[in-house]
Formats: sequence, C-alpha cells, structure tokens
Amino acid sequence: MNNKWDMLPSSNEDREKIWAKNRTFAGDVWFRFRHKPTAIGGLLMIVILLLFALFGPLFTDYSYSAQKLAAVNIPPIMKVYERPDGEGYLHITQGLKLLEVNKDGTLGAQLEKVREQSADSMTIYDCGGTEVGLYYGANPYVVADPESGVIYPSKTMWNKSYILGTDSLGRDILTRLMYGTRISLMVAFVAAAVNMVIGILFGGIAGYAGGTVDAVMMRIVDIISTIPLTLYVILIMVFLGSGLQSIIIALGTVYWVDMARVVRGQVLSLKAQEFVLAAKTIGSSTKTILFQHLIPNAMGSILVTVTMLIPSAIFMEAFLGYLGIGLQPPLASLGTMCNDASETLRSCPHQLLFPALVICLIMFSFNFVGDGLRDALDPKLKK
Amino acid sequence: MVRYFAKRLGMMIVALFLIMLLTFTIMHAVPGGPFTNDRKVSPEVEAALNEKYNLDKPLPEQFFGYLKGILHGDMGPSFKYIGKEVSDFIKDGFPVSAKLGLVTLVFVLLAALPMGILAAVKNGRWQDMAMMGIATIGVTIPSFVIASILIYIFSFRLNILPTYGLDSWKGYILPVIALGGYSVSYMARLMRSSLLEVMGQDYIRTARAKGLTEIKVIVKHGLRNALIPVITVLGPTVAGLLTGSFVTEKIFAIPGLGSYFVTSVTQRDYMTIMGVTIFYATFLMVMTLVVDIFYCLIDPRIKYE
Repeated sequence: MNNKWDMLPSSNEDREKIWAKNRTFAGDVWFRFRHKPTAIGGLLMIVILLLFALFGPLFTDYSYSAQKLAAVNIPPIMKVYERPDGEGYLHITQGLKLLEVNKDGTLGAQLEKVREQSADSMTIYDCGGTEVGLYYGANPYVVADPESGVIYPSKTMWNKSYILGTDSLGRDILTRLMYGTRISLMVAFVAAAVNMVIGILFGGIAGYAGGTVDAVMMRIVDIISTIPLTLYVILIMVFLGSGLQSIIIALGTVYWVDMARVVRGQVLSLKAQEFVLAAKTIGSSTKTILFQHLIPNAMGSILVTVTMLIPSAIFMEAFLGYLGIGLQPPLASLGTMCNDASETLRSCPHQLLFPALVICLIMFSFNFVGDGLRDALDPKLKK
Repeated sequence: MVRYFAKRLGMMIVALFLIMLLTFTIMHAVPGGPFTNDRKVSPEVEAALNEKYNLDKPLPEQFFGYLKGILHGDMGPSFKYIGKEVSDFIKDGFPVSAKLGLVTLVFVLLAALPMGILAAVKNGRWQDMAMMGIATIGVTIPSFVIASILIYIFSFRLNILPTYGLDSWKGYILPVIALGGYSVSYMARLMRSSLLEVMGQDYIRTARAKGLTEIKVIVKHGLRNALIPVITVLGPTVAGLLTGSFVTEKIFAIPGLGSYFVTSVTQRDYMTIMGVTIFYATFLMVMTLVVDIFYCLIDPRIKYE
C-alpha cells in the first residue's frame, strides 16, 4: 500500500457483513431497559429493599417482637437535658419518666422515682445521688433542679440505640421495618407467583382450546371480574381469620383474572403463526406446543402484568393491615405498622413516616420497573 | 345493542347470584355460629336464638329464605346490635357516604380534568412534568398515608381543620382529598394520554388548517373525543366514591357505610357483612352498566355486539 491512490481491496464479504452488534431479543430488551433512568433506578431500589429486608435483621440486636416498656415512643431525634453531674443527659419519655442518655447517644436505664411534689407540679427522680425534678406544670415539660427551679440546659441529639426510634410498645422501629418489608414483599411475590400460574394455565388453555371451551372459560372470567375484589378479599379474610397464610391465599386467588385475559389474548394471536403449524406438523403434543412454544413467546406481556400486580398486592396487604384484619401481632407488615402508628400520630409522627415511606418506595420502584419493561418489550420503540 | 345489554344484564344477575351464594357459604363455613363468640349462653337460649333467626333450618332453605328477603329489601337482622336490621345500617350509612362521595366526585372532576388537559397541552414542558409528578405520587401513596399526613399537618400542627366528622364544610376538606387523591391522579393521567392521542389525529390538523384558534381546537374538537376514555372509568370511580372508602371513613370517623362495614368485619357481625357486601356489589355493577350504556349513547362510533 505504498501508493495511496490504489484502490482498496474489497470483497463481497466486507460489504455484506452486518457490522452492528448482533443482539438477542433479551439483550435488546435489557439494552432499552437500562437506558431508561427511572426503570433502572426502580430496579436498584427493589434490590436495595430486598437486601434490607432479607439481610437487615442479621445486623440488628433487637427482635421484632420483644417489648421494652421502659423505652416506649422514643423518637429518632431526642430532646435531652444535661445531668446535674455532667455524666450524660436525661430524656423525658412520653410516660413522664426520665431516661438516662449516655454521652454517645445510647440509652441508659430509667431513673428511680423518689416522690411526687404536687405543690410544684414536679416529680422528683434520683439521678446518681442528686435529686432532679420533672416539671409538668406547663408544656413542654422540662427537667429542673427541685430546690432552685433552674431548668437544666437542653439540646437535641440523635438516638444511637434506636436509629429510627421505638414504637408504642418499645420495639425498635428499624428492626420491625426490616421484618415488615420482608413480610410485605413476600406476600406480594408469592401472591404474584400464584396468580401468574393460575392466570397462565387458565388463559393458556382457554386461548389454545378456543371454541366453546374458550367461550365458557371467558364467561367465568367476565363474571369474576364484575365482583369487587376488595370485598372478596375481605370476605376471605373473615372466613380464614387473620394471619399470613390467609392473606396469601386471599390475594393469590384474586388477581389472576387480568393475567388470564392477557395470556389468552397472546395465545390466540400466536397460535395462528407458522411456527405453531410447524410444531404441529412434526407431531408435538398440545402440552409441548402450549408450554414450549406459546407461553415463552407470551412471556413479555406476562412479565409486565406481574410487575404491575406486585404493587397492587402490596397496596391490598397494607390496606388489610390498616383495617386491622391483616396479620396477627406481634408479626409486622408495613400496613399493620402504619395502623399501629396511627394511634400515636399526634405525638410520634415518625412511627408512621418510616413504614409509609417504605410502602411508597416499593410502589414507585415496581411501577417504574413495570413501565420500563413495557416500553422495553415494545418492538415499535426499537432503537 | 339491546341484545348486548340484555346479555350484560344477564351476566350481572348470574354474578350477583354467585356473590350471594359465595358470601352465604363463606359466612356459614366460619367456625362457630354467630352467637358463640359472645358470653356463654345456655343451650335453650341458643336454640331459641337459632329458631328466631331461622338458623335451625337446612342450609338451602336458609339461603333461599335469605334470597327472598333480599328481593323484598329485607336483609335480615344484625347479630351484634339487637333490634337493628342490616337495611337500617344501609339506610343510615349510605346517605352519608353518598354525600361525601358526590362532593369528592365534583372535586375529582374539577381537579383531574384541568390537570390532564394542562399536561397534554404543555406536553414535555415543566407544567407536564409537574402535573404528572403529582399524579404519580397520588397513585403510589396509599390513601391512609395521605390522610394521616394531612391530619398531622392541618389538624395537629396548624390546627385549622377538624380531625373527624362532617359537621361543617371544613370537615369535608381532608376526607375529600384523601378519598379522591387516587382518582384524581388516575384520571389526570388518563385525560393526558387520551388528549395527546386525539391531538395527533388528522381532523385536528384540519381544524388547525382552517384557522381555528388553539383554544377552539382543543375544546371543541380535541376534548369532546378525548373525554370518552375518561367516561369509561367514571363508572367504577363513581360507585367507589359514593359507597365510600373503608379507610377514609375509618380515619375520619365518618358514620358512613364503609365504617359500618369495617366495624361489622372486625366484630364478625355476619348478617351485616353479607348484606353490605351484596349492596356494594350490586351498586358497583349497576353503576358500571349504566356508564356503559351512557358511553354507547354519547359515542355513535361504538358498536356492541
């Protein structure tokens, strides 16, 4: 190639080679999915929540059920008063008791009550030999010297023992949140899986069989879909009693109707295609055609429907928990935690905030992932 | 079309019958009779109670007796409140729920339609983002969380709105927002996508080409057609709002049908659960059917088979 004016060697191979990277359908979907920030953000959030729910309890010293009545309704950011001996701080609990707070922010023991000084509206507590008074004559309550009435200096500090505070029975909210998220997600996943199986079987058979079978099966679906689902779930819960199994059964048997419709529609359009004819020609059985050829091809829409089903299951579970017909205490789910917290909303809004936040995060992430999947699976949007 | 609706009506009746059968079966399969949860009663009293409420008859006879009662508007007595009929609960609770529901419906329409239209007209700009942001939040946050946050801010902190009851107009504000939040968001999204689709049609280009003002194009040509999908979801929404949400009524202590239902569920008052479930189901189905008929009347393009 000394002479730059020579023609470049060219062969047919070069011209006809496909230079773009050859991607499989799944690779294509993943490519489109990952270029959508909301979808990938939602997926990341789901992974983080799963890790939090599955492995979080390994790193906490508390159990979700052990009650500690000395440390009830402690907020994550506490108002504390300096101890007269300077050895730490004191926090006024909502039960009007004084709680020792160490200098690093961890909680200590509850102080011993000495006597009631009703004339001064004070309760006297014994704090390492010296007496301190809890003045409850005016709101907010303060800690003061019982002799002179001087209020000790106060400040706010983070609660290091209970990072998210405690609930009305003195249980660590962070730990309960982990178990609650675990149960809520488990209910949603199991319910979604059960619905998926029922929906695929029902819709697949109806779609493939066609004719009278299809008509009868779809009439059944039509009738079921006119029944208000909330009422049905509540009825089943009343019948089975509260508990984890009942929720899973109730939710698992309710939402398959949409899935059945989606699968039937897909199977109906797919079964007219040539590859099904080819499969029939080589003598494949109905089972093989349905489960090896038709269902895998319908998997895209099935996946989207399932991702959209999980948030509704979580919504429903939270709703049942909030109505008080969900889980039995001391088990926690996000809904029952919200329900417990609503009783102490005025004084401890943080108890509602955290479980509500987790519910919203789950809802957001699954909705985003579902939207992203739907767009990614749509071949019209191919780039 | 008449044939189609006759078929729908037939299906509805079958569905209602199934619901009644299901409810009845579930209620009778619950371990223990309606009187076993209370204090111990002597066998004679229990037998007398069973006879009074027809519980000693065979199940099919009980079921058809109950069915006959419903057709005559008699849903039987409440097992927990002596002397109260289930239909009393519905008579007491439904007007309250319906009033709240109507106010909420007006709020939903007044909020959702402008939101959706604004978002569609300003497609892709910050107004669109803001409206759809609000709508996404409304769809993802459960109503009890919205209600609790509202109560905390407006009742506990700012102290300007009551936490319960519907005594004055102020009492309506929070329940209406909590009850309607989801529907507002859902409808706003629907309105936006449907208007966007319509605005891409050829006849809109024609309208623009003949020199109509943009407002006229949107209102006269765009909205009329874009409203059709919104009307479809109006049926279930209206039924849901009018019969009241269980959670909203529970939080705000509103004596509507929803709160009666929740109380009867937690107290296991079987007759009331059955009666209210059947009432709810009927109402929902009838509303959906009515809206479908309406839907077909306003859009001559829709043909049912």
